[in-house]
Amino acid sequence: MQALTLKDVRFRYPGMSEWALDIPSLEIQQGEFVTVLGPNGAGKTTLSLLANGLVPKSIKGEFEGSVEVFEHPAPKYTVSQLSTLVGMVFQEPESQLFCMSAEEEVAFGPENLAVPRDEISRRVEWALDLVGLKGLNDRSPFTLSGGQKQRLAIAAALSMKPSMLVLDEPAYALDPMGRIELYSILSDLKAKHGMTVIVMERDAEDLVEYSDRFVLMANGRVTASGPPREMLVDPGALRAAGVSPPQMAEVASLINLRRKAPPLRFLTVDEAFAEITINTHHHSKGASH
Amino acid sequence: MTGFLDLYSEKDTFLHRLDPRVKLLAVALISVLAFILTELLYLVVLLCFILLLLVLARSSYGKAFFALKFVVRFMILITLLWPLFDRSGAPVLFSIGPLDITEPAVWRGATSAVRVGCFATLWYILMFTTSQRDLVRALVKLGLRFDYGLALAISFRFIPTFGLTIESIKDAQRARALELDKGSILRRSRNYVSILVPTIVYALRTADTLALTLQSRAYGAFSNRTYLREIRMRASDYVAMTVVVLILLLPALAKYIYGVQI
Ligand SMILES: Nc1ncnc2c1ncn2[C@@H]1O[C@H](COP(=O)(O)OP(=O)(O)OP(=O)(O)O)[C@@H](O)[C@H]1O
Ligand SMILES: [Mg+2]
Repeated sequence: MQALTLKDVRFRYPGMSEWALDIPSLEIQQGEFVTVLGPNGAGKTTLSLLANGLVPKSIKGEFEGSVEVFEHPAPKYTVSQLSTLVGMVFQEPESQLFCMSAEEEVAFGPENLAVPRDEISRRVEWALDLVGLKGLNDRSPFTLSGGQKQRLAIAAALSMKPSMLVLDEPAYALDPMGRIELYSILSDLKAKHGMTVIVMERDAEDLVEYSDRFVLMANGRVTASGPPREMLVDPGALRAAGVSPPQMAEVASLINLRRKAPPLRFLTVDEAFAEITINTHHHSKGASH
Repeated sequence: MTGFLDLYSEKDTFLHRLDPRVKLLAVALISVLAFILTELLYLVVLLCFILLLLVLARSSYGKAFFALKFVVRFMILITLLWPLFDRSGAPVLFSIGPLDITEPAVWRGATSAVRVGCFATLWYILMFTTSQRDLVRALVKLGLRFDYGLALAISFRFIPTFGLTIESIKDAQRARALELDKGSILRRSRNYVSILVPTIVYALRTADTLALTLQSRAYGAFSNRTYLREIRMRASDYVAMTVVVLILLLPALAKYIYGVQI
């Protein structure tokens, strides 16, 4: 099944001359982990708002085309109804947590959906556990770290039992450890619960291992799409598109510039290690002969 | 603890466990009692009773004194100033120039001061033993619309956030060599505009995201929304409620039916 299908979609904010989104076709499969990469103003936020109906339902503008969420035409449903299919996590951790305790934050969605109390209670424990915040039920969100806040926001979306999570620059306020923690939680959700995950980022760091596909965006258009390794054959192309490639990919291309031997191909520290030991091994063998 | 303006302190005492609705009722009824009582002696007895509650709530004295410092100052001020403005009655104790200080006025001043002390200590105990979230729950349970309850909860929640924001904006502006507290009053108030504008922009942006978040969490989807936690009256709450009602009822009966001077 397709989780998200866009056809001939165009959206323009009121009073703007450029289309914020202009996507002839975009299909995301159920259970896929897709990373949408694009520089400032590429249209990532607009695309994520489109996925759960806030664009064009709440944020009005000129809209054309068709959006289907799990094969349901999005315009037929309210944002509340879509929220049980699409969980949204916004960029700012601080302003999307508004309750006085972590537990209330996670319970808020199911409460609004009139879910019975026992079931809410189960979902709260389940969601807090999944994001690694077990036992912090009574903590005020204000007192959590940036990474914990972002994970709480994920739990608050998960408790509504969506089949797809859309995260707008979730790593924005996180340190490198926090990013890895966050992405591995998302990747677990995909592996264990069949969750469709769409992550919007400006920076491809750490995402190679987790993503099934990179989608590149610029000026509201999708400019390229494919498996991360194919997209990173030439990290320079990513940089030209305004997106930071993973640091290891850049290291590889810098080494290759000075090497006459066949180019090294690695995207992570582990791969780099493997690749370099193989090469030096060859070298020392050759010398001993 | 959610932040700066939050007096709540998590403890396991009888007063902390009491249903917040009973506590609100108690604050209301005991305040009425403080109004009814006119004899200084009885008011002092009431204040002692309230201070006893404060002890039962296991408030640290430092914290209580800090919060009540202003009240104590206010009480002293009332006691001293009251006779200057209320010059009815006799006998005159002494005169300051043209001002006659009369004995009944001195008593009335002291009475009002003790009364204010009662109100303030009651509120302090309420805030010290009740988390903001229980307070909001109680108000919603008592019939406040959920929307307003949510708005109230959100404002409680964001007070510390905006506090921190203002501090970091101040630091940022200081780093750009803005001297906040230098110059004339006009100059200083103009300096504060450079704090105010970014703060308002930040608040508006937060409100924007908040509105989108609320919709994404199905806010208002059903009118019969459920609640994970509901406050429920237990036997001890009913006992406490009865005691509180009697505390008001007995003196009120004595005064208005039997005409006892209290
Ligand atoms: N509320 C708005 N009103 C008018 N134009 C807007 C609004 N929000 C976004 N735009 C415009 O739409 C385009 C796409 O913006 P969008 O916020 O979706 O990009 P983005 O990829 O999320 O950028 P960033 O990385 O900065 O978050 C930009 O040209 C932007 O200026
Ligand atoms: Mg954005």
